Amino acid sequence: MSAQATDITPAPSSKGAIRRRLPGSLAWHLGSLAILAVILYPVVWVVGGSFKKSEDIVGSLDLFPADPIVDNYTSLTDGIADISISTFFVNSLLLAVGSVVGILISCSLTAYAFAKIRFAGRNLLFTLMIGTLLLPYHVLLIPQYVLFRNMDMINTYTPLLLGKYLATEAFFVFLMVQFMRNLPKELDEAARLDGCGHMRIYWSIVLPLCRPALITSAIFTFINAWNDFMGPLIYLNEPGKYTVSLGLKMFVDQEGLANYGGMIAMSLVALLPVLAFFLAFQRYLIDGMATSGLKG
Amino acid sequence: MQQGRDAERVTGRRTVLKAAGASLAVAGLGATATACGGGSGSGDGTVTIRYSWWGAEDRAERINKTIDLFEKKYPKIKVKTDFQPYGDFWKKFNTQASGGNPPDVFQNAIGFLRKYDAKNVLLDLSEQVKAGNLRMEGFRAGLEKFGEIDGKLLGVPVGSNSMALVIDKPVYTRAGAKPEMGWTWDDFDEAMKNIRDRTGRAGDSGMYGVMYLYDLYLRQNGKAFFTKEGLGFTEADLTQWWTKAEKGVKSGLFANAKKVVQVKPKSALSAELAGSEFTWDNFTVRYTSEGKSEYGLAPIPTTDGKRTGQYLGSLMLSASRRTQHPKEVAQFIDFMVHDPEVAKIMGYDRGVPATQVQYDAYTPTDPVNKAIAAYEESLVEAGVLETITPHPNGADVCEAAFLRIAEEMALGKRSVDDAVKQFFTESKTALAG
Repeated sequence: MSAQATDITPAPSSKGAIRRRLPGSLAWHLGSLAILAVILYPVVWVVGGSFKKSEDIVGSLDLFPADPIVDNYTSLTDGIADISISTFFVNSLLLAVGSVVGILISCSLTAYAFAKIRFAGRNLLFTLMIGTLLLPYHVLLIPQYVLFRNMDMINTYTPLLLGKYLATEAFFVFLMVQFMRNLPKELDEAARLDGCGHMRIYWSIVLPLCRPALITSAIFTFINAWNDFMGPLIYLNEPGKYTVSLGLKMFVDQEGLANYGGMIAMSLVALLPVLAFFLAFQRYLIDGMATSGLKG
Repeated sequence: MQQGRDAERVTGRRTVLKAAGASLAVAGLGATATACGGGSGSGDGTVTIRYSWWGAEDRAERINKTIDLFEKKYPKIKVKTDFQPYGDFWKKFNTQASGGNPPDVFQNAIGFLRKYDAKNVLLDLSEQVKAGNLRMEGFRAGLEKFGEIDGKLLGVPVGSNSMALVIDKPVYTRAGAKPEMGWTWDDFDEAMKNIRDRTGRAGDSGMYGVMYLYDLYLRQNGKAFFTKEGLGFTEADLTQWWTKAEKGVKSGLFANAKKVVQVKPKSALSAELAGSEFTWDNFTVRYTSEGKSEYGLAPIPTTDGKRTGQYLGSLMLSASRRTQHPKEVAQFIDFMVHDPEVAKIMGYDRGVPATQVQYDAYTPTDPVNKAIAAYEESLVEAGVLETITPHPNGADVCEAAFLRIAEEMALGKRSVDDAVKQFFTESKTALAG
């Protein structure tokens, strides 16, 4: 590869420079590759494991199977416990996309109020909201459960989604508030002079400028909702309504036959949507950071 | 061998299908019978009950089939199921029970009976027995009393199991160890040594952390792990038990705890770290599916050459006190423990069927389940079965703490004295609640 590079380089004077840089560059790349190998080892092991027989998976450190099989993947088409795998994926997607929409709308609206509007008790309310970050999830678990049960919402997706539409995720509100505070005040003032109300300023001025914050929130919300286990575990009572994270747990129990192969194959398939979502949006993330240099 | 097992599984499915077909006719008869005797139902519309249990997909498929049978026999009752692995099941159950919304009927174990009775979660089923919706006759070996606490019937056993020593047969043969009914702890220690010396493997995977085994050891000596209120042994007893364990781990009689942790969730026995492991006899299925060797069941070592201290344990079906449909729940439990077709579908998945009718209905054909049946029969023949001692409120927490602290001791994170103290502190808190 380096030979090719020297061939292309036209100026003979740069040859010396490359020779000087070569050992350093080589060490740099080898070092990176070594670290990458360590980091990627578990991932490669899982990929290799998904082609092993169930009894060969656990306790074996071999990266690749001696004789690969695809049964783990083909068996997924039979479904788990009389439920087709696609059901879990549809349910999870529904929840994840529903959460993203909810967070984007509700948290940005709330953040706009905190960042751009002066009203009585703003600082107190903001502090209280930040305070909710300190509440451990387990403290809220049972009271929330009782609340939703009294509203007859158990075994629906409402308990898992409702909060997301009411801006209860203080972290994302905080993130957006911080972002909006950094937007130059002159922009809203100019808009106001042109006759814009709050809704218009929010929609046409602030939201487009907040794109990096929105996309960060969207990515995290999607991943959190996709991976959420405790919420769906507590609130959903029918396997037909289960999400992927619950479905993955159906393969193995200490008391009986364990299907590790099916579990690993499905966990890889379950990674794909998250990966796709991240890849699709990370471009905007970097893009957004580059263009928001406007504030100077 | 693997192929043989696969074939077995296929034929298993076929017989299940046949059984389902045959039972259609039976269910038809049953339906007319209930229609004649009926009139007590609400009349309008069907009743839906929620049934939760722990397990994985294999159990789920079996249970779904038994529910199909039930719904055919009782067309006015619909059953909705919900299942998780053991740990997650109890997390969910706890939240739901605290939130006043537990499932109508659920799988239960002995360690949880007093705990949820104290929290007023469990329904006393004896009224349903009096009303004739639930028959408590025909249980094997006195199991009908198993779920009874202070005169209340809080759980109905579905399948019995008992502690056993699961052994790697070729390893035991190579070591020349022959475990027989009535063998003593000295014989056991001798076997451990021979396995270590002749096969290069540890003898046992970690018997010191198994609460139910220590319970048997204590019972052999006239004590028990639990009394009605608390622990039935002293710090000195446990120090003796764990000192022996620590020596065993250091000298390689028991498997290296670090390696045992590393191969989890696989068991040390199927990972070929140890030659044997103490566990419930119906878990043997697990080893065969995980490991490559041939596994067998050996009796529990004794102190005096006679008493093993064993009793039949059992999973149970319990009902929730908040259920709106106690009668339907009772009918459901009755069907699940007495119907012979259910036994043919479930096999030994939750232990050897608890009622004689179900026990007779299913004859195992594969070596693993045959071995389980033979083992339980040998216990009855040897006359070693005794009655179970009570499990107080908090027993489940003690069991988990016992396992965890024993493991920490084996890993060298705690000294024996420290481990014993820690266990007594934790269990006192748990049992006070």
